[in-house]
Amino acid sequence: MRGIRHIAKYVSCFVTLTMLLMSMPVQTVGAAMIGTETVMTLTKAQDVRKNLNELLNREDVKSIMIAQGISPIEAKARVDSLSDAEIMQLADKMDQLPSGGSDFGVVVGAVLIIFIVLLITDILGYTHVFSFVRHPSS
Amino acid sequence: MQSYSIVLLFVAGMLFSGCAGLNRPVHPEQAAGVPSRVELEAVPFYPQKEYQCGPAALAMALRWSGLPISPEDLTDEVFTPSRKGSLQTAMISSARRHGRIAYVLTGLNDMVSEVAAGNPVIVLQNLGLSWYPVWHYAVVVGYDLSEKVVVLRSGIIYRKHMSFRVFDNTWARGNYWGLLILQPDQLPATAKEDLFLSAVLGLEKARQFRAAVDGYHTALTRWPKNLTAHIGIGNSYYALGELENAEKAFRKAICFHSNSGPAYNNLAHILLEQGRKQEALEAARKAVFFGGPLSSAYQKTLEEIEGFKRE
Repeated sequence: MRGIRHIAKYVSCFVTLTMLLMSMPVQTVGAAMIGTETVMTLTKAQDVRKNLNELLNREDVKSIMIAQGISPIEAKARVDSLSDAEIMQLADKMDQLPSGGSDFGVVVGAVLIIFIVLLITDILGYTHVFSFVRHPSS
Repeated sequence: MQSYSIVLLFVAGMLFSGCAGLNRPVHPEQAAGVPSRVELEAVPFYPQKEYQCGPAALAMALRWSGLPISPEDLTDEVFTPSRKGSLQTAMISSARRHGRIAYVLTGLNDMVSEVAAGNPVIVLQNLGLSWYPVWHYAVVVGYDLSEKVVVLRSGIIYRKHMSFRVFDNTWARGNYWGLLILQPDQLPATAKEDLFLSAVLGLEKARQFRAAVDGYHTALTRWPKNLTAHIGIGNSYYALGELENAEKAFRKAICFHSNSGPAYNNLAHILLEQGRKQEALEAARKAVFFGGPLSSAYQKTLEEIEGFKRE
């Protein structure tokens, strides 16, 4: 009886370890070709970042941020630190915005800018306006 | 602070009425430069069998794009018996498996532009009520701006006329989902860069590599610097075993994007497979040098080449 228990201890240890190893998502970065889809996602994220930076550099956007008590330089630094996944989340939300409003025109433009600024500051944690933004625990 | 919250409410209102709300152009004459009346009379007709509007609609569009196919050939790929219908994703993946671009469009303006350009559009309509939907695929083959009608191949009706208003109502409930089926050397009239590249990528993922090469080349005619297209051509040629063509493609990518890690990385693999180890090494080193989010992959490539023993 003792013998079996003794062996069982080692066997169970081994089994547990193997199961743990098998269940861990082992991210083996193999030496491989980069897939087309990966390039597409990467490029999209870069484009979004570029657009975002251009937006943050606009005078009218900057003045809105300052009026809200947000430092544009700090905002830009925080946007730079966003991961690709967060950038794409932001891009998705921006895609949902109504585009090309011929009737609304100027009004939509101004409102759009305010919305985008609020969205960015929400993600960065300055404000807590939108419930769909997952707020970083500060 | 007061005006601030009013602005917020306004924005929220606009958003939650849905983009469909704002994008409700029942005056498609805004689609610039289209003839006032178009009908693609030569679009073939397959009267649908029970529940088989999906295969029928797709067969019509595929046949129009030059593929001799009938609804029966498509039933297995497209029709889901348990749903008694065809899922939109199944329509798209079936088209791709037959080497066709499946391009999703939205809205009356784009639809009219495409029909005017000679492309019939598969549409998903709800012919029932919002709380008792009757989903139906039909093919738009024409329109008349002055009469304000749309002409469809629908069900067992060869030429079904529907007023813009009714068509809009039925199409709106399907979120204005429209599908173009095109040969890979054709661009939609309303082509958007991201969406078209996605459609071609779909071909590559469906292992239709020859069609993918064509599709990516088509993308480059409109967007010559698009990196995804260049890489896609290289990767597709690689999958076809055409290493020389793959090499050319990656070098072209580098021409337009001289600091592209993926282009150098993939070029390195191609060169290695051709036995050109020294050149492969240089390419891999460039990839590592330019770095980026995928730099660990480039590093692995470099290590693999360095460890490669010449036979």
